Amino acid sequence: MIKIKAKDVDVFYGKKQALFNISLDIEENQVTALIGPSGCGKSTFLRCLNRMNDVIDICSVKGEILINDFNINDKSCDVVRLREKIGMVFQKPNPFPKTLYENVSYGPTIHGMAQSKQEMDEIVETSLKKAALWEEVKDRLHEPGTGLSGGQQQRLCIARAISVRPEVILMDEPCSALDPIATAQIEELIDELKKEHTIIIVTHSMAQAARVSQNTGFFHLGQLIEHGSTDKIFKNPDNKKTQDYITGRFG
Amino acid sequence: MNKNKEQLLNKRYKAEQRFRLYGLSAIFMALLFLTIFIFKIFSTGYSAFQKTWLIVPVTFDAELMMLDQNPSKEDLQDADYYDIALKSMADLDPNANEDQENELKRMVSYFFEKEIKNELLNDPNLIGKTKEVYLTASDDLDQVFKGNYPRDLPEDQRRVSDYQLKIFDQLVANGKVESKFNISFFTNADSREAELAGIASSFMGSIFSILVCLMIAFPVAVLAAIYLEEFAPKNRFTDFIEVNINNLAAVPSIVFGLLGLGVLLAIFHLPRSTPLVGGITLSLMTLPTIIIAARASLKAVPPSIREAALAMGASRMQTTMHHTVPLSMPGTLSGTIIGLAQALGETAPLILIGMVAFVNTIPGSPMDPAASLPVQIYIWAESAERGFVEKVSACIMVLLGFLIIMNLFAQIIRHKFEKKWS
Repeated sequence: MIKIKAKDVDVFYGKKQALFNISLDIEENQVTALIGPSGCGKSTFLRCLNRMNDVIDICSVKGEILINDFNINDKSCDVVRLREKIGMVFQKPNPFPKTLYENVSYGPTIHGMAQSKQEMDEIVETSLKKAALWEEVKDRLHEPGTGLSGGQQQRLCIARAISVRPEVILMDEPCSALDPIATAQIEELIDELKKEHTIIIVTHSMAQAARVSQNTGFFHLGQLIEHGSTDKIFKNPDNKKTQDYITGRFG
Repeated sequence: MNKNKEQLLNKRYKAEQRFRLYGLSAIFMALLFLTIFIFKIFSTGYSAFQKTWLIVPVTFDAELMMLDQNPSKEDLQDADYYDIALKSMADLDPNANEDQENELKRMVSYFFEKEIKNELLNDPNLIGKTKEVYLTASDDLDQVFKGNYPRDLPEDQRRVSDYQLKIFDQLVANGKVESKFNISFFTNADSREAELAGIASSFMGSIFSILVCLMIAFPVAVLAAIYLEEFAPKNRFTDFIEVNINNLAAVPSIVFGLLGLGVLLAIFHLPRSTPLVGGITLSLMTLPTIIIAARASLKAVPPSIREAALAMGASRMQTTMHHTVPLSMPGTLSGTIIGLAQALGETAPLILIGMVAFVNTIPGSPMDPAASLPVQIYIWAESAERGFVEKVSACIMVLLGFLIIMNLFAQIIRHKFEKKWS
């Protein structure tokens, strides 16, 4: 089933066009990887999906992005509601300089998802468990989140993102600042999370894309060159450029 | 070839050594100036914290005070102390003629009558008895006792006569002159008499001004900074505002004084010489400093924190209030304290709005006339009496102490509440 449908998306930074005519369907409860060389626009596309590009004054987005058949670029779309549905994990772990508990409970608090302290405790616990962090931190929930290791911080950010039960989780190179062990933990986690969430991950590591994703989109110079099942893209791509990139001839 | 390289390397080391030397000598110069400055102030000012008292026997003669038998408290309040006060001083030299009696009277402050009265009010049983009372020495004798007075000047160039010096030396020889900690320097308001002048009025005036300044400047500046940094679109208009805020920070303070005079006093008819007007004027001056500090610390909050909050579905307002502003507070607060410290040392605008007036009462609210510490320094520095010289330095010491405490506070806030983020 298709969760997100992008139709002819163009993105401009001032006068410079960053994305050209992107049309891409994203399957529900699957992991879609976006790959491509630096500056190809894959992060820009990812940020279109929860309208984080709004923050950048000079950025303008054209075209339709349908999530559950609703165009999020429409004027009637409320970004606060949208971002409640679409969580995001960033390249660099960015926990709030507050306690672990406050980090995870922030989303549910502002969206009024818990009626009592007990409910909130439950949300925090399940979120941390889903993020495979609970066992490591259950005794120090009230210590600052910035005191964790890089991999733990990133899992904390994932716990924070899933605390509001988003339908979609966007991950912008979530492992690029982590060591291989932490990366493996996060990849396992992604596999687990796709049961309940639709995941879109931007990555520089083709091995990672091959490991975690079911679908892959290849971006180059602001264009979506090719997309399809990960198997096909990696084993038998249609496009010469994709072939060259996958085999490491450029990028 | 190799030799050339060696030479070049040597040259580079030499240049570095020279550079270090320049740096060290610059620091040495700065420290030298600072030391001279502090030494000068302390060596002149420390004596102001001591006050000289003459111990004079006073006979509380009921007849001279026009008191009946068994006087009530009110009677004691209304009694006439001038005659016994005069007599006590005159009795220091039984052979004094009328002129000399006058000179004897001027050896103590004009306040001596009150001091004698307080003595009796504290202990009404003294009527008919004689007691040695501590009387404030005149400012000139105070200076003589502290060794700051040139006794070798010809008599007609001195304010202390040979006769007064003779009697004073007798008192010193008899142990009837004492130096004690000068409490009245901290509890008295300003006075035309150096021996009685204190900093209470100007200290309270400064405190009230700073409070008014803080209460106006801080909220306005923080709101302006938050709006400009987090909400305002970046366009020509906001650029223009930004440039002008920076310009405002560079405007000479006396201009703000003129503004206070022309607007607050002339148009709004606020009470002259009050900390209220002074505080408002100073707040105009402090405003840009706080705005600039607050914007800088808002800017220093990493964008990743804002993105994290926004991506969680926080509105812009929530992102700002829950995350950005709390994280920027340490920087904002220490900027505010530095701005206030600047305002505390400001003299020119206060002179223009009339806080330079002679105020001999201690203000109880920002609406009462008051001086301020820097203006008090200015007033005393202008005074002719020798007794004020040490007072100027002592007042500078108090002001510096105040400033150092504020800056220390700013440092503590900065270090203690600064949050580390990854």
